[in-house]
Amino acid sequence: MNLGNDMSIFTLISGASLPVQMVIVILLITSLFSWWYIFIKVATIKRAEKDAVDFENAFWSGGDLNKLFESLSANRRKAQGMASIFEAGFKECARHKQQARMEMSDVMEGSQRAMRAAYNRELDDLDAHLPFLASVGSVSPYIGLFGTVWGIMNAFRGLSNVAQATLSQVAPGIAEALVATAIGLFAAIPAVVAYNRFASSVDRLSVRYESFMEEFTNILQRKS
Amino acid sequence: MLRQREKTVSWKAGALSVGVHGLLIMALLVSVNWKTKHSSAIAEVELWDSLPTVAARPPAPEPTPEVQKETKPEPIVKQEPLPKVEEPQSKEPVVDIALDKKLKALEQKKSDNKIKLEQSKALAALKQDMLKDDQQVKDKLLKEQKQKQQNDAIKKLAQDMLAEDNATGVEQANTAKAAASAGAIDEFQTKIRNKIRSNVNKSLCGNGNPELKFEIGLLPTGQLNGSPKLIKSSGNPTCDNAVERAIMASDPLPLPKDINLFNQFRSLKLTFRPNEAN
Repeated sequence: MNLGNDMSIFTLISGASLPVQMVIVILLITSLFSWWYIFIKVATIKRAEKDAVDFENAFWSGGDLNKLFESLSANRRKAQGMASIFEAGFKECARHKQQARMEMSDVMEGSQRAMRAAYNRELDDLDAHLPFLASVGSVSPYIGLFGTVWGIMNAFRGLSNVAQATLSQVAPGIAEALVATAIGLFAAIPAVVAYNRFASSVDRLSVRYESFMEEFTNILQRKS
Repeated sequence: MLRQREKTVSWKAGALSVGVHGLLIMALLVSVNWKTKHSSAIAEVELWDSLPTVAARPPAPEPTPEVQKETKPEPIVKQEPLPKVEEPQSKEPVVDIALDKKLKALEQKKSDNKIKLEQSKALAALKQDMLKDDQQVKDKLLKEQKQKQQNDAIKKLAQDMLAEDNATGVEQANTAKAAASAGAIDEFQTKIRNKIRSNVNKSLCGNGNPELKFEIGLLPTGQLNGSPKLIKSSGNPTCDNAVERAIMASDPLPLPKDINLFNQFRSLKLTFRPNEAN
């Protein structure tokens, strides 16, 4: 009578009941997606910060704003971040100036509205996928817990048929069930950390964009 | 799902994400490789002061009344053995069978009344030989029984065996064998009782010397068949429960290797005195 239990991770998962296996599969897929989004956001936010620094350097270098606008328009790539805000504001201002009949305050308001719209679009792009990460961070532990509770219920139900309850009769079932919680936590922890980090990065970027908008409005008002 | 600007990094991010999960699975495989092997290598050892069959032990086991009853018909059958009926399972010595056959043949001849004097003499001699043989076997048995006189239980169980075998006819050699197997039976009964006794929580049985009786069904593997039945209570339910738990905890019980002996263990009536020193 050999009671040896091979409790490697594969036998644990394959030995689990169907709901537990489904929970594990769902959590693995969720975890894959959340990590995918995490890496995407790391790359995009890093690039947005770099773009903002580059653009601020170019903007405050004291060159001609017309030249800056032309170089941005000539760029094959669509302007992003601060550049797109600058482009929208400058274009709107230039258009109003061509009409020449408009009041100064109207020109300023128009360009401000254009910049606000561009800013909202930028912020929407920066905020993308953050709700998903927040959901994963808060929900996946519960999904894992559900799998664990289900597995432990099964383990204890098997115990009711035997006269003498020994630990070896429940231990494999509980170990199987706890794998679900482990994977749920593995999905949740990085998602929460990444969400908090990305949220603060996006906040700082948005503050930077807003302050740039105010400053650019002042410059436009001075020039016209 | 993906923004325009995210498409450029999506493949790289996907690869990294898969890589992270590969690392996770690797880490799980390496670290969470719980191999629990409680194999049969964990030997169960029972310690014995002496070998019960050889050494004369104090008569610890108390023979049950049933056994005593069963021993009563024994002497009657012993007086008239029926040599014709062979016990199918008994492995008698070949010599004995041959002798019996000879005896039968001689008796037939005698009945024919066509025996010459020499033949009758020879028959007489043979008979005497037979008787001598018989006597020797009987002496041997007596010696063996004397050896075990200190142990009443063994003797009674042997007689018990004998009584059971009497249904098919018992021969002297068979009795010797029965005595030997009775020794084994007694040995294992004592083993079973000691194993159970070692599991009894004696503090639950008070200060007196309570006596209680359980009937236990056994499977050939030594495992319990059903739950033990309390035949005679000690008057203290706590003590009864303690002994019952001890019986459960002793599962599986030791059994002799010889399957023929198992019939004696199919249903065991065991008497316990938890407070009595062994």
